[in-house]
Amino acid sequence: MEKEGQELNETILKMQGITKFIFDSEGIALKNTNVKILENINFDLRRGEVHVLVGENGAGKSTLMKILGGIIPPDEGEIIIDGAPAVFKSAKESKAAGIGFIHQELNLCQNIDIAHNMFLGNEIVKNGVLNMKEMYKRSRELLMSVGFDVNPKTIVRNLSTAQQQLIEIAKAISCNSSIFIMDEPTASLSQNEINILFKLIKEMKSKGISIIYISHRFEELLQIGDRITVLRDGKNSGNMNVSEFNYDELVNMMVGRTLGKMHVCTHVPQETEILRVENLKISKRTLPLSITVKKGEIVGLGGLVGSGRTELAQSIYGARQFPSGDIFYMGSKIRKPSPRSSVQKGIAYLSEDRKLDGLVMEMDICKNVTLTYLDRFFKKKIIFKSRETGIAQKQIDDLHIMCRSMYQLVNTLSGGNQQKVVLAKWISEMPVLLILDEPTRGIDINAKAEIYRLMDKLASQGVAILMISSEMPELIGMSDRIYVMCAGSISDEINKSEGFTQERILQGTLK
Amino acid sequence: MSVSTKTINRTSSVNQFFRRFVKNNGAIVIFVIIFGFALLFVKNFASAQNMLIIIKQSAVPVIACIGMTMVLMTGGIDLSFGYNIGFTSIVAGLLIKTMGAPVWLGILAALTAGAAIGLGNGILVDKVNVPAFITTLGTGYIVLGAAQIVSKGNTINKLPKNFLAVGQTPVGVFNTTILIAIAVAVIFYIILQRSTYGRALSAFGYNKRASFVSGVATSKIHISVYVISGFMAAMTGILLTIRVNCAQPDLGGGDYTFQIITAAIIGGASLFGGKGTIVGSVFGVLIIKVIENCINLAGVQYFLFQAVLGIVILFAIVFESIKNKKL
Repeated sequence: MEKEGQELNETILKMQGITKFIFDSEGIALKNTNVKILENINFDLRRGEVHVLVGENGAGKSTLMKILGGIIPPDEGEIIIDGAPAVFKSAKESKAAGIGFIHQELNLCQNIDIAHNMFLGNEIVKNGVLNMKEMYKRSRELLMSVGFDVNPKTIVRNLSTAQQQLIEIAKAISCNSSIFIMDEPTASLSQNEINILFKLIKEMKSKGISIIYISHRFEELLQIGDRITVLRDGKNSGNMNVSEFNYDELVNMMVGRTLGKMHVCTHVPQETEILRVENLKISKRTLPLSITVKKGEIVGLGGLVGSGRTELAQSIYGARQFPSGDIFYMGSKIRKPSPRSSVQKGIAYLSEDRKLDGLVMEMDICKNVTLTYLDRFFKKKIIFKSRETGIAQKQIDDLHIMCRSMYQLVNTLSGGNQQKVVLAKWISEMPVLLILDEPTRGIDINAKAEIYRLMDKLASQGVAILMISSEMPELIGMSDRIYVMCAGSISDEINKSEGFTQERILQGTLK
Repeated sequence: MSVSTKTINRTSSVNQFFRRFVKNNGAIVIFVIIFGFALLFVKNFASAQNMLIIIKQSAVPVIACIGMTMVLMTGGIDLSFGYNIGFTSIVAGLLIKTMGAPVWLGILAALTAGAAIGLGNGILVDKVNVPAFITTLGTGYIVLGAAQIVSKGNTINKLPKNFLAVGQTPVGVFNTTILIAIAVAVIFYIILQRSTYGRALSAFGYNKRASFVSGVATSKIHISVYVISGFMAAMTGILLTIRVNCAQPDLGGGDYTFQIITAAIIGGASLFGGKGTIVGSVFGVLIIKVIENCINLAGVQYFLFQAVLGIVILFAIVFESIKNKKL
């Protein structure tokens, strides 16, 4: 018994003095600057523990994990696994050393089935041909081990995000990994799916597997974490045992100060109706729904992932087709909604996935910010550089976008700053109706607070805001009114005067 | 941070300028290298007359390459380009010589025909969602067939003087064809660098969905590049016809298309969209023409040109990938 306990406390991974220099826009490391991406980071992992890594966006969590995953090399410092120093030249070598990396973004081939995905690049071959029978059998076993009962012949495209995540985990297990890196695995999961994942994590723990867990959600790390390491500005800023959890102390470690009130509310909704949706069906089989949004009002749209919130938002905005229903905007009916006409009318839509349809990742901040209202900024079709840089600089200053210059490519920015760029491009001209789809997904607490302040400011200037959110505190803290969606239709409408409660919203999502 | 970064910038600003230049102007760098080699090792290369020959030979392909670059920037391709050249050549030749129509009408008709073919390509690619490769291959063959049928396989030579004058009137040491090419390059440089259209085109090439959601008129842009490409093919067709003094259905052709694509790729355009510049396209063409010129001067087999072209395109791609990694 005692021996087993010792084994559990054994350190299996140590990262010492990891340093990574910043590099200039051409990728050359700048060694003689004071600013480093990572500076002398120490991190250790014990057998069978869930070690949570927290920190703001840009604190260096992802960089540190990329180093461990062999994706990028450290400039200084060493990695010790099971007492022996390890140098990873590629992701493959890290994998071979028993490190399984579950990325925030899924890396599955959508067009082939589960088994093929699980054995991709690692196929079981018999007499020179694929042994499909064995592969399906092994896949099924692996799937069962993560508690996912599905036919391995299912094409991945037909699975939900959460199910795909389970496949990724099963795939990592198949490599006999003893260390797992999970980078915000719950970012796109519903509560139910999160529960399944957590159960799985607990089982993995009991088998002696260690997990490095990156998350922005405090309630999660309380549920499954053992220890917490906080990074701030590329440095170690503190450790904490989950058993001694202290909210204020943790926030202090993360941001270097205790935060004021997260959700500010100074705006007052007005009476003028900006948007009225009548009997809109988001698909042929769902029930019609109706909603309104008033001037200067923040309307929350709650519900599970897949309940049709994004579809509703995109229908209003014109980015997707819907079978029937009417949309009235400032009193008149929108005949044929399209993104182009919506932008011209003053409707803005901040999409859920900034990489997919929010930003042009290969272009710089300046070009992204001005893209939406190009025609309005430059009526004569010719771009005047001084005017353009003025617009971009104002947004960078207003939203505190951290960057080297406005000519930095957005794919080199941290997640929080990317999100600010998306916001900047939509509010560089004041919209009338602002639709926000998960405005604070995957961004840190500081950036979140800033975005909340900004939303409040916009609302007090009379902008009508429709906000989709999966985060209860955000929904409750920011909204003046909440619609709850379930199975493609509105299941509940709650006014602030009635009092928002988590229970009532949850009830609505499950109706 | 700002203090320390600034010191670095100052100490290595020349170095940094050089690096940025190489990164953004790969085609110019390759051109300088090849041109330098030619000056040193190829006999008779370094003469003013030879330079003029290279410029004259580059003028028409520059126009073509700019049209192709616009399509490549959207992530598409226009394989009908070369066949469009033959078709518009015949249109111009038939109207001006056989039917005796005024020169301006013949040119206008050819340009309209070229643009119309482009419009067809654009509508099929954008509205019907047929991959550009297939669409333009199909229309290309249709246009080739049509040109052969209309001309009954014959060429139309000895074209009227006032038609030839459009491209051959000397202007100083240059001629009108070169001036037209320069004008086209300047106009499209401004469009790509400074206009909202050029900006939207580049955004569309990188991320179609994000551009659509941002309210960019994506369909218009997508179709317009094929129209431009068709229009430029017609210009190429007319100017080539003037140069050889003969309208022929097989002017241009598939090989011409691929040479133009090669020039565009060497110039830094990407088959995946987004990238592409006019400066790159111009130098892409110059590189190819310098190599062709060298092979002619050296008196080796002309077929070697194609092999060298293959090496250059591979070299350009490798160079591109190395500089993206290292610089």
